[in-house]
Amino acid sequence: MTDILIETLDLAKRFGAKVAVDRVNLQVQAGEIFGFLGPNGAGKTTTIKMIVGLLQPTSGAVRVAGHDVQTEPLAAKAASGFVPDEPNLYTKLSARELLRFVAELYDVEPGVVERRIEELLRLFDLTAAADDLIDSYSHGMRQKASLAAALVHDPRVLVLDEPTVGLDPKSARLIKDLLRQLAQRGAAVFLSTHILEIAERMCDRIGIINRGGLVAVGTMAELRAMGQGQASLEDIFLSLTGGAEDAAIAEVLQ
Amino acid sequence: MIGAAGPRASVASSTWKLLWLRVRIWTSVLRHATVRRKIGTLVVAALVVGFLVAAFAGSWALLRFLRSPELAQVVDLTQVLEALPTVILTGAFLTILVTSFGVLLQSLYLARDMDFLMAAPIPVRAVFISKLIQAILPNFALLCLFALPVLFGLGASAGYHALFYPLVILLLVCMTFAAAGLSAVLVMGVVRLVPARRVAEALAAVGAAASLICSQSGNFTRNMTLNAQQTTQMMDLLSRVNAPWSPFAWAGRGLIGLGTGQGASAALGLGLTLVLAVAIFAVTLRACEVLYHTGWSQMQAGTPRRPRARPHATPRAAAARRPAFPRLFPRAVTALIVKDARVLRRDLRNLSQLMTPLILGIVYAAMLARSGGQVDPGRGEAPQWFMQGAGQMLAYGNIGIALFIGWIMLSRLGMMAFSHEGRAYWLIKTAPVTPVRLMLAKALTAYLPTLVIGELFLVVASLLQRAGSSVVLFGMAVVALALAGGVGVNLAFGVAGANLEWEDPRHMVRGSVGCIGSFAGMAYVALAAAFFLGPAVLVPLLGGSAGLGQAIGVVVGSVFALVCALLPPYLTLGRVRRIGEMG
Repeated sequence: MTDILIETLDLAKRFGAKVAVDRVNLQVQAGEIFGFLGPNGAGKTTTIKMIVGLLQPTSGAVRVAGHDVQTEPLAAKAASGFVPDEPNLYTKLSARELLRFVAELYDVEPGVVERRIEELLRLFDLTAAADDLIDSYSHGMRQKASLAAALVHDPRVLVLDEPTVGLDPKSARLIKDLLRQLAQRGAAVFLSTHILEIAERMCDRIGIINRGGLVAVGTMAELRAMGQGQASLEDIFLSLTGGAEDAAIAEVLQ
Repeated sequence: MIGAAGPRASVASSTWKLLWLRVRIWTSVLRHATVRRKIGTLVVAALVVGFLVAAFAGSWALLRFLRSPELAQVVDLTQVLEALPTVILTGAFLTILVTSFGVLLQSLYLARDMDFLMAAPIPVRAVFISKLIQAILPNFALLCLFALPVLFGLGASAGYHALFYPLVILLLVCMTFAAAGLSAVLVMGVVRLVPARRVAEALAAVGAAASLICSQSGNFTRNMTLNAQQTTQMMDLLSRVNAPWSPFAWAGRGLIGLGTGQGASAALGLGLTLVLAVAIFAVTLRACEVLYHTGWSQMQAGTPRRPRARPHATPRAAAARRPAFPRLFPRAVTALIVKDARVLRRDLRNLSQLMTPLILGIVYAAMLARSGGQVDPGRGEAPQWFMQGAGQMLAYGNIGIALFIGWIMLSRLGMMAFSHEGRAYWLIKTAPVTPVRLMLAKALTAYLPTLVIGELFLVVASLLQRAGSSVVLFGMAVVALALAGGVGVNLAFGVAGANLEWEDPRHMVRGSVGCIGSFAGMAYVALAAAFFLGPAVLVPLLGGSAGLGQAIGVVVGSVFALVCALLPPYLTLGRVRRIGEMG
């Protein structure tokens, strides 16, 4: 029996008259890296925010680690870690203080907290700056601190919104390796990205959202089969979401 | 379009484009504003014009009176009146110099458009000039609002030459530019040493403290009267401001010369001032171009700042060091309180808002100490019951002031408890923390420091007043209970008006809710004081003992305070889950 860790059931979100997410159904299993793609404004971040409990759906449901995010929020949240697209952190805390704060929010075993923090700081190359205020961190360092905060309680579900934006190649590689290892240890990784190469190489399955609706879900092979002979994910993505017209490009460059 | 400016675009045309862009942004904001805001803008504009006209008429009439031959027979004010332009221009220069520092810091280093402007193909000088103009314009307008009616009134009352009026404006403009230029260089000098954000934080704290001290200093000077000697000293001071060696006096004397038809004096004074002002502005502008990039690059790089150094705790040591406090509350609650305490303490912008009650406390404690805690009997005609009641009221005055100080603290710590999280709130919202625990943590974060400050004030003020121990104990109970209710009221409004998108701490709570919340908090304090202190004052007047009155006050007040402590947060608990959600 497969262990489904993320499941959305007819998930929808409206902002007034605007439909941001329209009856999205998807599942992510334990040990799987799921890539979530879509053009700007397609509903990726809104979907992610509903999965992690930042937004309440207008209708439908989200289940994380078997718990409904709306009716059993504590259990669902305890099982998941989240990395937002913008690493907005408490700038007047140091990375060490931030990680300790998050560990206590997630009620991590007191005896484990300090060791876990040291491991994460070392892993993300933040040890030297661990006691500096986040105020003085670069975007990349904040992104890494944000990732460390998401991992401090060893979540079974990790949701990442554009995790590699602003990271140097070494850090981006580190994150890719880390996500792969987390999946191998049985975690479910839900990852949104605009970098199709990352999605193609890393993700076990990919979902493409356009104008709030899920237009395709499957493995690369399944997507290729749907793409009528198109080999690359870029071609499949553009054919499903509508790419830029040649004439429009020529007009801009003229 | 800025992009349309060619590589050889002139400073003047680029400056004009940048300023015109700002005008277009302003008109666009106004065009898209709500009808209420549009009407509000029109009303404010009408009020400003009305004020200008009234101030001009008032100064004209006053200055005509001061120049009247009848008054001259009593006191000769010619020297003072001739020094008036110098005093006003000196004040204007210094005001712009001081007030421009903060706005220029914000405009040059903290505004988000500087990267875009510096990268655009427009002269850097044009960027600085337009930034300086935009930054100083509000302060300059405010300055004109007060300075122009007086100076124009001076000219009208003495029948000065028509050229006096445009030259007043020209001088004010030139001196403002010179002051702003010097202020900009000062900003860049400081930012070379200290990161801009840190300077802004420190400035907010200093500014808040200074403005409060200025406003409260009126309480001390209220009863002061000037004797003849002090009046003469003030007149001497005015004469010294108008001394011929002072560059400010050149401008003032030049204006008087122009008004009274002394051509040579006017040309020399005004010419020297204008040349000096333009030279200062040109030099400071050049200095800005040289100095700007160092501060900017330092800001981009960021200077690592560490909290007070502490040895790293080993896991075992950390566990052993854990205080008893966490055992009282769940770990998440303790973590939130500790986090809030750190963040509040380290951000000087927050401290500036919390400094207000401390200064108020010191000011009012000093005033109480001066009064000696006794009711002034006046002519001794007041009835006995009135004097007794007034004495009772004064005895409980400390409690009232402690509650007032608590109200100010709670309107910051309580009402802004959720907004204070800002964009980092996602960390809490995605964590397994119940709304009840979150509310409890925020309530304790607001309550504990307010309680400490309130009780401390009460004890110190009571000692200064030599109040009886029963009154002190009663007061301590009242402060502890009443502040708990205040936390509930402020926290509820804080939830309702939570704004996580703020940039400036002064805009943390959404407008209308913040306003209503402040009034509700104030009404709560007034009602709590009435419930707690009313019986304590009334029962002795009706023949009962003071102890009985205090006991009744504590019982009645406690019920009210506890209802307010629990009911408003309970009613808003459901909204806690939705904080930070749009739509």
